[in-house]
Amino acid sequence: MEYGPPPLFNQGVSARARLAFFSFLAILLIVIDARVNALDTIRIGVGVMLYPLQRVLLWPRDALASAGRYLVTVGNLTQENAQLRESATERAARLLQDEQLRLENAHLRQLLALRERTSAKTQSVQLLYEPRDRFTHKLVIDRGSSDGLRAGNPVIDEQGVVGQITRVFPMVSEVTVLTERDQSIPVEVVRNALRCVAFGGSEPGTLELHFLAANADVSSGDTVVTSGLDGLYPAGLPVGTIARVERDVKDQFARVIVRPAGGVNANGTLVVLQVTATPLPAPSREDQHTDHIGRRGARR
Amino acid sequence: MKLWPLRRRANGDISAVAPAALQRGQPHKQVLRPVRPMFIWASLAAGLALDLLPWGRTPLVPDFLALGLVFWNVHQPRRVGMGAAFLFGLLMDVHDGALFGEHALAYTLLAYGAIALHRRIQWFPAISQSLYVLPLLLVAQLASAAVRLWVGGASNNWWIGLTESLVGALLWPLVTWILFAPQRQPISRDETRPI
Repeated sequence: MEYGPPPLFNQGVSARARLAFFSFLAILLIVIDARVNALDTIRIGVGVMLYPLQRVLLWPRDALASAGRYLVTVGNLTQENAQLRESATERAARLLQDEQLRLENAHLRQLLALRERTSAKTQSVQLLYEPRDRFTHKLVIDRGSSDGLRAGNPVIDEQGVVGQITRVFPMVSEVTVLTERDQSIPVEVVRNALRCVAFGGSEPGTLELHFLAANADVSSGDTVVTSGLDGLYPAGLPVGTIARVERDVKDQFARVIVRPAGGVNANGTLVVLQVTATPLPAPSREDQHTDHIGRRGARR
Repeated sequence: MKLWPLRRRANGDISAVAPAALQRGQPHKQVLRPVRPMFIWASLAAGLALDLLPWGRTPLVPDFLALGLVFWNVHQPRRVGMGAAFLFGLLMDVHDGALFGEHALAYTLLAYGAIALHRRIQWFPAISQSLYVLPLLLVAQLASAAVRLWVGGASNNWWIGLTESLVGALLWPLVTWILFAPQRQPISRDETRPI
């Protein structure tokens, strides 16, 4: 395996030296990026450079999709129209009731002198593409820091919470979905207001509720919503339904698997909640390891 | 098995016209035309573009850019080297939202493997070359997997992605055929030329 060039034909620096140099550089970049987070300006520069190319290469797919939409038959359209009208009338009744409840709620809150629920500014965004990365599940959306998005903003769709923006570029942003292993979200069970924290599950595409006692009152089919305790996710957004509860005698915690509600068919429009998280006071040394709920994703 | 008579024929050929590359047992006896640098960079850019297409989480889509880098590092190791592989890797890192340097490391290893093996690989026909390309692609993928496992951001079913290397290796003969096509074009006939 000796491939040194004969001295007559000098080929410059040897392959092994170049391998050592470039792998050292790559490992240095990896370590800096993973531990210090100091490379974001370079990354944003490369991202801006790559952006036109990315947009051009999304064009074939979009053209195919729009051609497909154009060729939808009249039969399909009339059927869909009828369905939509039916659901609209169905919703109208609920909407009227909802309006009344909202007024009543506002009135009661005023009576109780409760703080008004802050309604976050929202922005609807389009899903551009899913990166091919096999190791994490991310989504890339078509708005970025120039539209006021920030890392840490929650992202929802019409079904529930999808995830959290973890990195912003000027024109695009990366969303890490809830089922990622290092994502966490404070939740409560709707049925009995039991509060806990959901983490990305060990099975792909699921969440797990951690630190629930083995005899905790949860059962499959319960709906799980955000509890709003972290000051980041507004309270009451659907997160998922409990699919399975495993209670093991030798374990003091129950293993609760949650099937996520949002992001199942992640195509089309998502909504970003532009929440400005109220910064919590700096944690003291002894509870530092417990105070990263809902922020671990934002830090990466 | 096929190589031996070929090589003997090349050796037995007394005329010194056959270039050294041919004597080393190029499986095809055709003398290739010199490669145009523009074509190398255009094909690498095409590989990058194919990788940037919105494949999403479609399984079994190979890394086209990696295949292109292996090809040119095997056949033109002095024109495309580890530096180019490194820079293309950084572009892929930004596109994939991966750690900065992860693909760069993988492609650097890939380029080194290709350069280290390039004299050996060229002995074989394209189909057998796939058997050399497969471990190269696998090593590159495992390197980025190792980085992810070390940093701690990998989901549990990452190993499914390793099938992409298999598909890439199966595509190798096709890649060879496409990327050699311009060099295999016949030289334009000139009746008045003495040779």
